[in-house]
Amino acid sequence: MDNLLSMVLQMAEGCEITLQIFFITLVLALPLGLLASLARLSEWRPLSALMEFYIWLMRGTPLMLQLLFVYFALPMVGILLPDLAAALLAFTLNYAAYFAEIFRSGIQAIPKGQYEAAQTLGLSYPQTMRRIILPQVIRIVLPPVSNETINLVKDTSLIYILAMNDLLRVARTIVQRDFDMTPFLVAAVFYLAMTFVLTWGFKRLEAHYGRY
Amino acid sequence: MADTEIMVRMHDIHKSFGGLTVLDGIDMEVKRGEVLAIIGPSGSGKSTLLRCLNKLETIDSGSIEIKGDFLAVTREGRAEYAEAAKEHKLLGCMGMVFQQFNLFPHMTVLQNLIEAPMLVQGQKREAILPYARELLQKVGLADREDYYPSQLSGGQQQRVAIARALCMKPDIMLFDEPTSALDPELTGEVLKTMRELAAERMTMVVVTHEMAFAREAASHVIFMEGGHIIEQGVPEEFFAHPREERTRAFLQNML
Repeated sequence: MDNLLSMVLQMAEGCEITLQIFFITLVLALPLGLLASLARLSEWRPLSALMEFYIWLMRGTPLMLQLLFVYFALPMVGILLPDLAAALLAFTLNYAAYFAEIFRSGIQAIPKGQYEAAQTLGLSYPQTMRRIILPQVIRIVLPPVSNETINLVKDTSLIYILAMNDLLRVARTIVQRDFDMTPFLVAAVFYLAMTFVLTWGFKRLEAHYGRY
Repeated sequence: MADTEIMVRMHDIHKSFGGLTVLDGIDMEVKRGEVLAIIGPSGSGKSTLLRCLNKLETIDSGSIEIKGDFLAVTREGRAEYAEAAKEHKLLGCMGMVFQQFNLFPHMTVLQNLIEAPMLVQGQKREAILPYARELLQKVGLADREDYYPSQLSGGQQQRVAIARALCMKPDIMLFDEPTSALDPELTGEVLKTMRELAAERMTMVVVTHEMAFAREAASHVIFMEGGHIIEQGVPEEFFAHPREERTRAFLQNML
């Protein structure tokens, strides 16, 4: 019993880095993704082409490869980042690209008449986006954003290749040391608990934005 | 004197989409308190003309004058618009009602009304609320201020849209086929609101398929086809004795 308790405590410590990667990536990637989607929709061709390339690059290569690139290849050209910063850079760039495409589809789903109504009432572009378009976009993108966010919880486990002691790596270390598979089950419970909280949270948000 | 003030004057308006000419030399004017009805078959350019008036579409050449100030003039064959501040002021003189209502679905009826006065005119919420409620009363929806647009019928939504445009205190109201998306039994309530507005001497430009409305409420009727004005006149004359063959054919089809 003591054994199990100390195992759970060790793994809870591993959760710390998992949650750190999760929250910081989310906080950075959501606004970046929004900016990227607006740039992608820009009528200025060079900007939208650049965003298209960035999104293609990020979605077209494995996140694992991007992590390895930031961690091992960047130092070769003199850019040496601390472990956590390196992981966050890769995660944020990757997730911002996915969020950008989600936001783009949401923005494009708003009928042209909404822009025209705002325009004839005298609203500026920033006012139109902030007050009329984006509040409606949130409702449309909540389900896919929720999906992507839950993916992020599980994707954090990829940092085990950077030798950072996240939840999964701690579990694996104990398994290898004790020849006991229980830590895998405990890890599964931890991940399920996190995604449960997220699912519940997004359900609440959807109910809130679904009131109209 | 005040009644002869020219509110809108459009001169020699040309507009094409790609290679297709939609407006081919249109002239028209509206005086204060007048109701101009623009009728014609679909594709005649009547909606485009209205949309050119408040710059939802830009003209290729011609001139647009709002209350004596030029929104657009033509130099060397190309239309040039007024600088941003003046343009904003002139466009602010006009309110627009759309075929598809275009209410903001995430806001309540009351929010729909007060949003633009607060954002664009910088009015305080408390300052604009009484007027907004008065307008809702006027369009018969005083008890619906906390409803979302999706909870209202099409006719109610369109009346909210009219109140929303009025809340900006425009001098000219533009209507783009305001009843075309409504079930027949709901057009009456919207037309009633528009008639009341006309009776209060609001200057109105109305693109419509409602011949009865054009006949009774309009002070002037324009019939368009193929980007041209085919015929125009006061409604009594226009509907009783259309001069042009095409007008006769169109009116026959509509009745």
